[in-house]
Amino acid sequence: MKLLTHNMLTSHVRGVRPGGGFPLRIKATEVKVNNVDFNQEFTARMVPKVEWGALVEAAESLGHRGDLPSEPIPDYESNEDFLRKVHHVLMEVEVVEGMLKCPDTGREFPITKGIPNMLLSEEET
Amino acid sequence: MSETEKAVDALSEMNLGDAPKQLGENKEANLSASCKDIVVTIGATVPTGFELTAADEVQEKLGSQSRISKDRGKIYFEIPVIDLPQVHQLRSVDNLFVVVQEFKDYQFKETKEEALKDLEDLAKKLPWTNPLEVWKLNTSLKKKKTRQKKGNQHSNTRKQKLENDIKGEGTVEGLHDPLQNILGLESAEIQDAQKTDEVMPPNEDEQSDSKEEVASSDENKSGDCKKSEMEAQVVKFRVTCNRAGDKHSFTSNEAARDFGGAVQDFFQWKADMTNFDVEVLLNIHSNEVVVGIALTEESLHRRNITHFGPTTLRSTLAYGMLRLCEPQPADIIIDPMCGTGAIPIEGAAEWPNCFHVAGDNNPQAVKRTANNISSLLRQIHSKESSSGSKPIDSIQWDICSLPLRTGSVDVIVTDMPFGKRIGSKKKNWDLYPACLMEMGRICRPRTGRAVLLTQDRKCFAKALSKMGHLWRKSHTIWVNVGGLHAAVYLLKRTGERNEETKSKW
Repeated sequence: MKLLTHNMLTSHVRGVRPGGGFPLRIKATEVKVNNVDFNQEFTARMVPKVEWGALVEAAESLGHRGDLPSEPIPDYESNEDFLRKVHHVLMEVEVVEGMLKCPDTGREFPITKGIPNMLLSEEET
Repeated sequence: MSETEKAVDALSEMNLGDAPKQLGENKEANLSASCKDIVVTIGATVPTGFELTAADEVQEKLGSQSRISKDRGKIYFEIPVIDLPQVHQLRSVDNLFVVVQEFKDYQFKETKEEALKDLEDLAKKLPWTNPLEVWKLNTSLKKKKTRQKKGNQHSNTRKQKLENDIKGEGTVEGLHDPLQNILGLESAEIQDAQKTDEVMPPNEDEQSDSKEEVASSDENKSGDCKKSEMEAQVVKFRVTCNRAGDKHSFTSNEAARDFGGAVQDFFQWKADMTNFDVEVLLNIHSNEVVVGIALTEESLHRRNITHFGPTTLRSTLAYGMLRLCEPQPADIIIDPMCGTGAIPIEGAAEWPNCFHVAGDNNPQAVKRTANNISSLLRQIHSKESSSGSKPIDSIQWDICSLPLRTGSVDVIVTDMPFGKRIGSKKKNWDLYPACLMEMGRICRPRTGRAVLLTQDRKCFAKALSKMGHLWRKSHTIWVNVGGLHAAVYLLKRTGERNEETKSKW
């Protein structure tokens, strides 16, 4: 699971408050850093799509934040240095084994071989 | 070295991005002028309904205009012979052939004997020379690729990817999987053309055989060329006839037999139905007759998938569906019912500037998707690319309750359960509206779009009418999926804000 994917994931357990269940806390037991081709346009266009705070928090919790600022810098579209940092965090840091935890209900979702299992039992939906 | 082989050398050098430049130019100069100047008509079979999409791709990648045949599922375009390798890179075509001659309005005689006699006579009159040159070039290209694969691992041709796919060790793994066997049995009830997709026989003997062959040809390259010349002395061939239309006095078998007899007499080739070098195609569609020579032995649609599931989608159809929604850079594209991942994997391979998410509720499907993704990565590794990962992830989830932020997805492309091999029509009545609602929630208002394939058109129409506030139908394409009459719908997300449509929150 890449952190870009994590940035989209929410918990949908019944009883979660509106807009809640996000961001899921990551408890990783295995993290891998893969080299992914850098694409400046892709990264620049992705910045406004992600929940920045959640991304920084996720990267921080895995110890891969580096010096990623807590807000996107002004004129980031043309700043390759900044975009490479974003690219690294979004695309290259992957959680292989671990857990995702719902911030509201505490429900845990296992991650195995890089695949989060977000299925709920019938009582939970 | 024969003229053809020289041309092949030139073509493959150009095809290899990392080949030393002067060498490539040198070889290019060697390419015989006569061969370079030949312009031929290539025919391609494509998923029915996607002729325009395929024509678009041909225009974009080869700069050629295509004619769309009245005979559905085929397009024709002209290319200079030098572009042959690029033709093999097309993603929307299943099979390729070079046209010998085309008759737009062929007059068949009334009686069977006369009509068949005409076909016999035709064989001698056709302009075979250039198409046969193309066939030779094509065959040597294929040989060259096998040789290179063994020698240096970094050729970047699609054809090779295909071969890697088929030989991938993973193929065998899936078959030992008990669940897949069960699913395989269930689906065996429905006999159709796609059934072959479900099981890939693990033929390890054959694998090692072909490898040995490659190795030996690698060792003595000088002898290789003599060998192929010797082979050329006894060309084995078959004629395959496809006939459609009700005004013919003969069957396709009779046409193939008599036309084939004439071809045999004319060229002194030997007929062999299974182990042939040349496959002559005789396509008869009402009064349209096209004679061609096949350039692909196996449909190209298997290219990405090594782990097949019960309803694996052809990658050519997956490509067509993705192309329909015009992916933009940084689009987030999901397949919420991905099965073996045919769509997201095709997406990650062809649109690496988008992010692809593959999800399914079935643990087996998610596992197969993950295996197919790693196969894709292995292929990329062998091409000496520096990247160790692709813009794709897989998740196990439930389509009716997707664990995704509201409005976070740009494009949804999926193959919905037909209610035949997977699911049931009855279940679809609940599933379809729930699906459209949930997809509407996660999809970005105004710019979001969805391309959905289903055979259960009645149910889909009903579900869509209930969800008119979220989705507007912009386009419908009728397709044939393994003999089932299905439809691909292109939907555009309305501007309606997501908050108002939330069902739970």
